Amino acid sequence: MLVPALLTLSLAGWVPARWSATDPATLDLVAGTPVNCLLMEEPSAEFAAAAASRGIAVLAVVRPGGDTLAAARAAVEAKLAGLVLEGEFDRAMIARTREVLAASKLALVELPPRHLLRLDAPLVGTSHAVWPGVQAQPAGAAQAAPTGGPWIDTNTGFLRYLRAATEAPIWVANTPPPKTVLPVARYLQAIGDAAITGARWVVALDREFNGRLLAGDPAALRDWRRIAAHLKFYEEHKEWRAWPFHGQLALIQDIDSGALLNGGVLDMIAVKHTPVRPVPKAKLNDEALRAARLAVTVDPASLTDAQKEALSGVARRGGTLLSGPPGWKFPAPRADQIALDKPEVEKLNDIWRDMNSVMGRRNLGARLFNVSSMLSNLLASPDGKQVVLHLVNYSNYPVENITVHLVGGFARARLLTPEDTPRDLEVYPVAEGTGVDIPQAPVCAALVLDWK
Amino acid sequence: MTRRELLTLAAVTPALRAKEAPTAPVAVAKTGSYSEDLTAILSAMFDKLGGLGRIVKGKTVTIKLNLTGSPALRFEGRPLGVTHYTHPRLVGAVAHLVGRAGARRIRFVESCWGTGGPMEEYLLDSGWNVRSLAGAAPNVEFENTNALGKGKRYARLKVPGGGSMYPAYDLNHAYEDTDVFMSMAKLKDHATCGVTLALKNCFGITPASIYGDDAGADEPNESPTKGRASVLHFGKRQPARSAPPELNPGSRREDGYRVPRIVAELAAARPIDLALIDGIESVAGGEGPWIKGIRYVQPGLLIAGTNPVTTDAVATSLMGYDPAGSFRNCDNTLKLAEALGLGATNLKRIDVIR
Repeated sequence: MLVPALLTLSLAGWVPARWSATDPATLDLVAGTPVNCLLMEEPSAEFAAAAASRGIAVLAVVRPGGDTLAAARAAVEAKLAGLVLEGEFDRAMIARTREVLAASKLALVELPPRHLLRLDAPLVGTSHAVWPGVQAQPAGAAQAAPTGGPWIDTNTGFLRYLRAATEAPIWVANTPPPKTVLPVARYLQAIGDAAITGARWVVALDREFNGRLLAGDPAALRDWRRIAAHLKFYEEHKEWRAWPFHGQLALIQDIDSGALLNGGVLDMIAVKHTPVRPVPKAKLNDEALRAARLAVTVDPASLTDAQKEALSGVARRGGTLLSGPPGWKFPAPRADQIALDKPEVEKLNDIWRDMNSVMGRRNLGARLFNVSSMLSNLLASPDGKQVVLHLVNYSNYPVENITVHLVGGFARARLLTPEDTPRDLEVYPVAEGTGVDIPQAPVCAALVLDWK
Repeated sequence: MTRRELLTLAAVTPALRAKEAPTAPVAVAKTGSYSEDLTAILSAMFDKLGGLGRIVKGKTVTIKLNLTGSPALRFEGRPLGVTHYTHPRLVGAVAHLVGRAGARRIRFVESCWGTGGPMEEYLLDSGWNVRSLAGAAPNVEFENTNALGKGKRYARLKVPGGGSMYPAYDLNHAYEDTDVFMSMAKLKDHATCGVTLALKNCFGITPASIYGDDAGADEPNESPTKGRASVLHFGKRQPARSAPPELNPGSRREDGYRVPRIVAELAAARPIDLALIDGIESVAGGEGPWIKGIRYVQPGLLIAGTNPVTTDAVATSLMGYDPAGSFRNCDNTLKLAEALGLGATNLKRIDVIR
């Protein structure tokens, strides 16, 4: 009876983690954390039952090459909550697996490669993603990008697009780089990198950390609590996931014009900390562009007349249109492709110069200062009362003295962080609207502002 | 630099050749961190130099900071002020003291790397609290001197004696429209010049709009985005034609030859009235994170003087180098400045006040 009870917990409520331990006693580590969904290799019925008794769903992970249908039947037999197909599977096999699971009301989660992502899935996810962080060179110096700052490996670009394209829960299930021992901050960055766009990172620990955690090492337990605190932070504000993007820059881009590739236009804009509303072609209409003062179309030739008309509306309202020239288009991702290839990066440099010259120092919703090692995302509440500015710090140190200039008048600013009490910050007038100084930002933070 | 080259340089300044270069005392203070009472420490140092009031009272004081390289480039992710930038707390303390001493106006300047935009935004990107700094004294202003800025025209500052590299430099108006000019530098090694202190800091008074790699061929480029390697470091091209060209385009094209001479000439064209070197925390092995092999250091020193050459000489000595000796990859900027009659490098002639 426990499994059907678990199924009442929708996919949207699952907070996932990969779990290697088979001893039900290890569930004590999960208790008290937001994690309520464990992805396991061949979980036992005993473990699943113990997990279910604690309200934790167990999903069996299946990869290509094995007997998928047998795995589905085993999942039913073990009374798991569902099955995860991780990798590239035949569509017919996925359909048959779904039928087997559906009879027992088990969930099917697909984590396909990037190029096979389905936007109509009940849960959109992939394990093909980069490990977030500042790219380090051997000497410890940061690698320069066309923008001049350190280049941050991030999934926020394609996750922004997914957030705009679907209302389904989004999982990014990348694992730590092999043979690497990571400081806990890198895990916190991975959580934030997904969460600021409304996605969830499937928690996955490196082998060394995992071993120490299961052995009860005090330092590992301390780090695990920090991970849990960061997960809890975003779960306590799960309403932010549904808040729409805020800002005056609209980027019309889709899967067939590079929206799923890391290092693309969305990532470039993110590095510049310009708030952006990704607009998939299917959602391109007057309403989607209503607040846009600058609209960038990556592939104008692919738009319908009605969509072109909607874009013209931006110009009629006094905004700026930037249309990509022929060739300003990236191909849909190939199998196993995550990021842009070198020639595409070179093309991006040219595109970036054009966009940069148009954007200049304009404030298109918010301008952030002293954030070269950070990424941000600006969202607005549907009721029009608040905006939230998400911040993730990818450096090894807390960032001090961040300044934010927001367009419009705000009466109150409050800084929320996972490991500290909320703090009210002074708001002051600036030319564009409202200024806020953030004295210090740890790995993850959210600045919540109330409109006047 | 060979003896012959030194004599050649001195020959262009006959009026100065005959007399010994001037000297002035230098104050040194041990300072453990930026959390100490910097106002009190600096106040005591300036008092030992005769007091700030006699220099700044009723005057416009222009303070050239050292904010070299893009604010986005950090060494090991550390705040810029503890590695290669002048520290903002020290700058705030100086602003307070200069204001308290009666300065009519304080103008912070820097040719902000890769931009002609407002200096305030560059400082914000550097993690500075601009509102706080602006409130540290009455009439605090900021000017990005990488381009024309708030001025209507560039100021042409001539090198006394005619110069050996350029006869004059076209600079932002802030370097002319001032009564007192202060160089507020960082204590650092420098890949090109050996050390970068109060003198070398003022290499950055040259606007990239005219001397930058993307300077206009004829007129200044008021939206510069690059450094000055092609024009000033290596002489691969001339500055914008609106500015005086090189005197001898056939001269050596090495940065170790050119940059020290340009620095010395600039100090002659735009004399430095007050030098303050931030050596509390810094980097060693180079001037910024783009230099491989640099390391974070805590010298715990502040060095101040009214003569940039004597101040730099003492600072160089404290770094463990001979200020009057030969440098490994370049000519000695201090000796070149001394040859121009700007100040003494002989430590025996410099009164060091602790």
